[in-house]
Amino acid sequence: MNCEEAIKLMDGYLDGELDPMTSQRIEEHLRDCHKCEQAYETHTALAHAISRAAPYYKAPTELRQRIQSSLRATAGLRDSRGAARENHTLLTSPRAERRFVLPQTPWNWLALAAAIILAAIIGSSFLPRLRTPASDQFLATQLIASHVRSLMANHLTDVASSDQHTVKPWLDTKLDFAPPVIDLSSEGFPLIGGRLDYLDNRPVAALVYGHRKHFINLFVWPAAPDEAKAPKTITRQGYQLLHWADPDFNYWAVSDVNVNDLQLFKQQFETRTARH
Amino acid sequence: MALQLKTEHASDTQDLEPHQKVVKFVVLKKSEPDHAERAELASFEETMLPHLDAAHNLARWLLRNEQDAQDVVQEAYLRAFKSFSGFHGSNGRAWLLTIVRNTSYTLLKKNRAVDLSTTFDEEIHASDHESASPAAILEHAEDAELIRNAMDQLPTEFREIVILRHQQDLSYKEIGEILRIPPGTVMSRLARARGKLKEYFAAQIGKEK
Repeated sequence: MNCEEAIKLMDGYLDGELDPMTSQRIEEHLRDCHKCEQAYETHTALAHAISRAAPYYKAPTELRQRIQSSLRATAGLRDSRGAARENHTLLTSPRAERRFVLPQTPWNWLALAAAIILAAIIGSSFLPRLRTPASDQFLATQLIASHVRSLMANHLTDVASSDQHTVKPWLDTKLDFAPPVIDLSSEGFPLIGGRLDYLDNRPVAALVYGHRKHFINLFVWPAAPDEAKAPKTITRQGYQLLHWADPDFNYWAVSDVNVNDLQLFKQQFETRTARH
Repeated sequence: MALQLKTEHASDTQDLEPHQKVVKFVVLKKSEPDHAERAELASFEETMLPHLDAAHNLARWLLRNEQDAQDVVQEAYLRAFKSFSGFHGSNGRAWLLTIVRNTSYTLLKKNRAVDLSTTFDEEIHASDHESASPAAILEHAEDAELIRNAMDQLPTEFREIVILRHQQDLSYKEIGEILRIPPGTVMSRLARARGKLKEYFAAQIGKEK
């Protein structure tokens, strides 16, 4: 890649909008070309400055009220006429109100029956999703497979960057949730990048961290309300799996580092997410 | 329970028998159009009101005036409500912001505050010598006043794309949909906007010294 091309694609790279191959080629160029690297640094600094310090003009409360009442005025013309008609019938026939309510009674019963059936359907469809030890084992197999594949197929990251402000927006646009992304370089776990993965029947975020010569895949997806919150560890095929959850997310860290290092990683990650 | 249901129902019908036809007429007339409209309004508010801050922020940056911004946002919400039945997409925020943007431009054009042709022809690349260093930018990165001044100087097209990207966190695809340009153009316009901003930023820093 030459400078001209790098400059042209730099903003796409900064915004995490390039495909992994092109991102990697840009990164290589930035490593070799001081001038482009400098330009990239400036753009990054500028981007951060805008995100951080440019004022975000929130709507004043009275605007919300103004909009709501103007919407009501637009939609509500017939509303008031309807109210008038109701009054009219109430006045001409004293029994109107009672009549209006009574024919609905069978519907209330139907609604109750429907609610019971619906509750039963929802209940039964959620039952298999309750975490049993067996499903954890199955998930563990999936997690290890995904971890191994990421190292084997040279597809460790979709967006390779040690900058959390690059990885996070990239993931946010690809997923229907916004996972916390934190660089833990100073704690000995530098962020390497992020990747999309598919686990437990849903798209998940995979954050890749390094630790000495090892890699840690941290899989993140939104927590279900009934999910078990207690952290747990699983050791399998020489891999360590560590699971924890906060009110928003489920975390599974997978690596071949030893269990203490993985615990330390979890601690650091939790402390930093709590602070954010 | 079935038995209870039957008996209750039976007693109701008996009670109503003499006036049943009249009752049905009243119920239909009263509930149907109102109910549908109220449901539509509720669904509209539920989908669109969460984006009120985003809408206001975009209008405020485009118009650089609080009163105009509020008027435009209110107008945009009314327009959006009127065409809400035509909205079938999943991205309510992008859809609403498109309307806010169009409404803002209508006002800007009316006030002749914006001339689309000149801002686009401007040569951006010729001014690299004025560029600020990353260190200088970082040093002033928390200076909201300075950043706002630099942003306010940007041509409207550049200001809006910077806002959509950095404050609304929209993807190139979403920005492209709002501005009706392909993602590649989003990238090049953002590049030019940032270049320009860098220049203004440097000028602002220079002024301070």
